[in-house]
Amino acid sequence: MAQKPKVAITWLGACGGCDMAVVDLDAGLLDVADRLDIVLWPVALDFKYKDVEALADCSLALAIISGCVRNDEHLEIARLLRQKAGLVLALGACACFGGTPGLANFSSRQAILDFVYRDSPTVENPEGTIPQEKSLVNGHTLTLPAFHEKVRALRQVIAVDYFLPGCPPPPQLISQAINAVLAGDLPPKGSALAPRRALCDVCPRNRKKPARLEITQIRQIHEVETDPDYCFLEEGILCMGPATRSGCGETCISNNMPCRGCFGPVAGVEDAGTKHLSALASILRTEQYFDLAQLVDTIPDPAGFFYRFTQPVSILGKAALKMHPLDKERP
Amino acid sequence: MENFNPRIVCFSCKFGWGYLDPHKDSLKGVTHWVPVACSGKIDAAHILEAFSKGADGVLVLVCPEGDCHLQDGNFKTEAKVFLLQRILPSWGLDSRRLRVIAAMNPDGEKIPALVRDLAAQIAHLGPARLFADSPAAGQEAEPAAVRGSFSASW
Ligand code: SF4
Ligand code: SF4
Repeated sequence: MAQKPKVAITWLGACGGCDMAVVDLDAGLLDVADRLDIVLWPVALDFKYKDVEALADCSLALAIISGCVRNDEHLEIARLLRQKAGLVLALGACACFGGTPGLANFSSRQAILDFVYRDSPTVENPEGTIPQEKSLVNGHTLTLPAFHEKVRALRQVIAVDYFLPGCPPPPQLISQAINAVLAGDLPPKGSALAPRRALCDVCPRNRKKPARLEITQIRQIHEVETDPDYCFLEEGILCMGPATRSGCGETCISNNMPCRGCFGPVAGVEDAGTKHLSALASILRTEQYFDLAQLVDTIPDPAGFFYRFTQPVSILGKAALKMHPLDKERP
Repeated sequence: MENFNPRIVCFSCKFGWGYLDPHKDSLKGVTHWVPVACSGKIDAAHILEAFSKGADGVLVLVCPEGDCHLQDGNFKTEAKVFLLQRILPSWGLDSRRLRVIAAMNPDGEKIPALVRDLAAQIAHLGPARLFADSPAAGQEAEPAAVRGSFSASW
């Protein structure tokens, strides 16, 4: 029998949700296990990194990597898998764009350490202990991976062949992606393995969108009893659908939650945040320009809102990363 | 910040600003000037791109309310600028570095002065560097929008 293609599945700076989406393949997982030889999957199986190191370069058909890159371990594993794998798939919003952990890039490494180990109201740390890369315990040196200044998306540290966005991506797209790799039926490298169109195009609520949308009051989802057939924007609830890639299966929309943008921008867009911002700017309506202040000040944390999943790959996010080059400016 | 001369990028609507000055003589003093057919076409990404490429301030010149040559591109761009002013402090950039002026100046002779004016007002902030401006200062700043017709008041 011909050898089964080898696959590694791993998480870097991740919550595990993307791995759970793989587990959610359910019976499909048995099929995957039948057709593929899984050589690394920390969340489910006990393999060691040294097993991967021992493999020949490019001997893996595919490495599926979720999570962002925030420390030396993430970086090392990303580089190792890039070396061993013919194809790398960035799985989930964190790997594709930095994801929600990328919001930490609005802050600094120092500010994070100060808050988490000193200033948070629930912290008691009179000795001011903070994690060290090396510490001596009973004569043994213990090490921790260095914590980087900024969060990076996977493509900002290694070449990525394909992207599958989502927080987490739907199992159906994951199985399609795996099948496409097995069949060798893949779009050009660099593509997202998801539809190109915006969510509004496929949204069931779009049918009852008025010809000219106007938002005169911004409301939160819990303040309104929404009609499941009406566009959220029509009710003043901010929905990211106009500037977000479709393919998620409209899970949020059909559960009465506006889109938050986890599928990232549509094909060809670099900065998702400015697209959300512009879409919103075009439908805000006030009598006077200065009334806009009152209107938009009801959006809590606008930068976090517009860049919820994409801060590190945005225009200014990338500029900020240049100030902290990897490998040069280690903490 | 003595002797610091901020680099200002100026985006302007071609319909309202400087169209009677075909040789752009009035603009010789403006180094980074981007006239666009309808201010509505000025993308929020262009503005952030300007900052990422080293602009210390960005000036956006749109037509007064009701005077958009098309429909309401001016209002849409004012709203974009307004929202951008709300997010700049999170990037450690003072929101006063971005200004929109809704007025009209077909001869364009006011543009160099408006550029100099913004430069003078933000010179004390120093060069724009991400996460360098005090976020508190930027957050408190009112949106730096100027409305009304300059042709009347000037
Ligand atoms: S993309 Fe979402 S589900 Fe996946 S690791 Fe990141 S936060 Fe978790
Ligand atoms: S804005 Fe949201 S609710 Fe409205 S059509 Fe688009 S995705 Fe659907």
